[in-house]
Amino acid sequence: MEDLTSHLDRSQVGSAIGPEPSDESLLGQFANGDAMAARLLTDRLGPRSFSVALRMLGNRSEAEDVTQEAMMRLWLMAPEWVPGQAKVSTWLYRVTMNLCIDLRRRKRPETVENAPEVQDISASVVDQIQDEARSDALQNALEQLPERQQQAVILRHIEELSNPEIAGIMDISVEAVESLTARGKRSLATILAKRRDELGYENG
Amino acid sequence: MADDNELENLFAQARQESSGMPDDLAVRIETDAELVRLKRLKAAKRPELRAWRKVIEGIGGLRVLGGLAAACAAGIWIGFSAPAFLPDPANLFLPQEATFLMAELNLDTEYLEGTE
Repeated sequence: MEDLTSHLDRSQVGSAIGPEPSDESLLGQFANGDAMAARLLTDRLGPRSFSVALRMLGNRSEAEDVTQEAMMRLWLMAPEWVPGQAKVSTWLYRVTMNLCIDLRRRKRPETVENAPEVQDISASVVDQIQDEARSDALQNALEQLPERQQQAVILRHIEELSNPEIAGIMDISVEAVESLTARGKRSLATILAKRRDELGYENG
Repeated sequence: MADDNELENLFAQARQESSGMPDDLAVRIETDAELVRLKRLKAAKRPELRAWRKVIEGIGGLRVLGGLAAACAAGIWIGFSAPAFLPDPANLFLPQEATFLMAELNLDTEYLEGTE
C-alpha cells in the first residue's frame, strides 16, 4: 500500500486542473479510483462534518468518531451516487446529524464527575477565560434547545448555510426552517440572559 | 434576554472556533478512503472470476454444479461400459443395416490383405 502520509501539494493539484472541481465530480473520480480526489474531499467536507458534530455533541472525541463514520459512508456510497440528485455536502450534513442524534440517544447523561473542573482565574487571562466562558455558554445553551431547533440554529448561524439548503438537509420546508431558527434564537437569548453577568455583558 | 448583537457575537466566535479539524482525524479519514479505494480496485481487477461466479450462481451454486459433474461422469461410464442388464448403447445409435455394411467393408479389407 502506498504511503498515506505522503500528501501531494493539494492546492497545486487544484490549480493544475483549472477551475475547482465540484464535490460531485470529485466523488465520481474517487469512485473511479482516484486517491487524490478523496484527499480533496476530506479537506473540503471533513471540517464541515466535524464542526456540526462538535456543536451537536459538545465532545471532541465523539465528534471525531462521528465525522470519521460519516466520511466512511461517503466513500462507500461513492459508486452509487446519482449525479444531480443532491449536493454532496447536503448528504454529508444529513448523515452527520443523524449519527449525532443516534449517538446522543444511546449515550448516558453526563455525570457530575465528568464535568470539567472550574479553574482559578488570574487577572492576565480574564479575556481568554471570558471568551471560553462565552463559548461554553453558547454550547450549553445550544444543548438545551429542542433537537430540531438546535440543528437549524447550528446550520444557519454557525455553518452559515442557506435556508433552502438547511431545508434539504432536514427534509422540511424553507418556512419550517425559518420558524425553527427564529424559535431557536429566542430560546437561546432567554437561556443566555441568565448568564449575562458572567459573560461580561452589561445588564440593560 | 440577550440581545441580537450579543447573540451574533457569540455565533461569530463559534464560527471562528469551528474552522478546521484535527490533523489526525484527517489522516484517519484518508486512510479509510484509501482502504475502500484499494478494495474496490482489487475487486475490479478480477472480472473473469466474477463472471464465472455469476455462471455458477446462475446454475444453482457449487453443490448443484457438483451433482451435475457426477451425473455427467456416470453417463460417460455407462456409455463405455454398460452393465449387463442394459442394452448396448452402440446398437441404439447404429441400425442393423449399418452393421452389415461394416461387415462387408471388413470382408473387402480382408480380401485386399489377402492379395499382398
